[in-house]
Amino acid sequence: MALDPLSSTFAALADPTRRAILARLARSETSVMELAKPFDMSLPAISKHLKVLEHAGLISRTREAQRRPCRIAPASFREIDGWLGNFRRFWDDSLNRLDDLLEQMKAEEAAKSSPRTNRKVTKLKVRATREKPRGRTRR
Amino acid sequence: MDARADKTLRITTPSDFEIAMTRQFDAPRRLVFDAMTRPEYVVRWLGCDAFAMPVCEIDLRVGGTYRFVFRSADGIEHVLTGTYREVVRPERVVFGETISMPGFTSDEYLVTSTLVEAGGRTTLTTTIKHPTKEARDGHLSSGIEQGVAPAYDRLADVVAGMG
Repeated sequence: MALDPLSSTFAALADPTRRAILARLARSETSVMELAKPFDMSLPAISKHLKVLEHAGLISRTREAQRRPCRIAPASFREIDGWLGNFRRFWDDSLNRLDDLLEQMKAEEAAKSSPRTNRKVTKLKVRATREKPRGRTRR
Repeated sequence: MDARADKTLRITTPSDFEIAMTRQFDAPRRLVFDAMTRPEYVVRWLGCDAFAMPVCEIDLRVGGTYRFVFRSADGIEHVLTGTYREVVRPERVVFGETISMPGFTSDEYLVTSTLVEAGGRTTLTTTIKHPTKEARDGHLSSGIEQGVAPAYDRLADVVAGMG
């Protein structure tokens, strides 16, 4: 199969067991024995999944150490994130602008209702002008 | 004072047909709701820097419609149109939406937005439900060339978990 790197990444992610393995490795690097524990699977079966993940560049395994711990290879995930990127970027950009707009809306609202701003002055003026005619009608 | 709102956009795929987005805002929900549903506000935030938004029409009532047109610098238009199914200010809005661009018009998908306020902050959750998994996958990859295996169930979850 001549797959481009991203295709082999997605093929590797198509399997729920492999996704579960990645989720586990996202927490910390782990030996194959440890990885196999939560799954009802033989060690060779798990090893096969690990080979697929390794081939796709999603995990790496140390050659030297005897227990060959597995760990996440972050570079591949950046690539995938780039693929999801358009949708995310559209909404990230939009919602960041919405933050700015909300700050402005809050400021406008505060300017309208806060007694600490100019409003205080205008309120006093209004009261003063209201009191005058009232006084006159009473007289 | 409380910690600031968590402004991370979280995108997940809760089922084969859905995309869910969650985001917090440092504002009460009536402001967020207005910003999302009044055209004079919507034009100020929705879209990418690369797109102008020459049309933004909203008739916010059940059965009412809206129409947003985004135009790229080279004149290509992406049009979002929809019909409101539920309008409960300031906590919930549901609409059926279609996106069209030259040579492509999507099936209608259902968008549900809920706004929950706590301590002056608002959490917006938007769920987009497509009629098929293929349509959902197409939406997530929007604009990226076809041919990538649609094999990323809960991928957004996995990627998000990578930190």
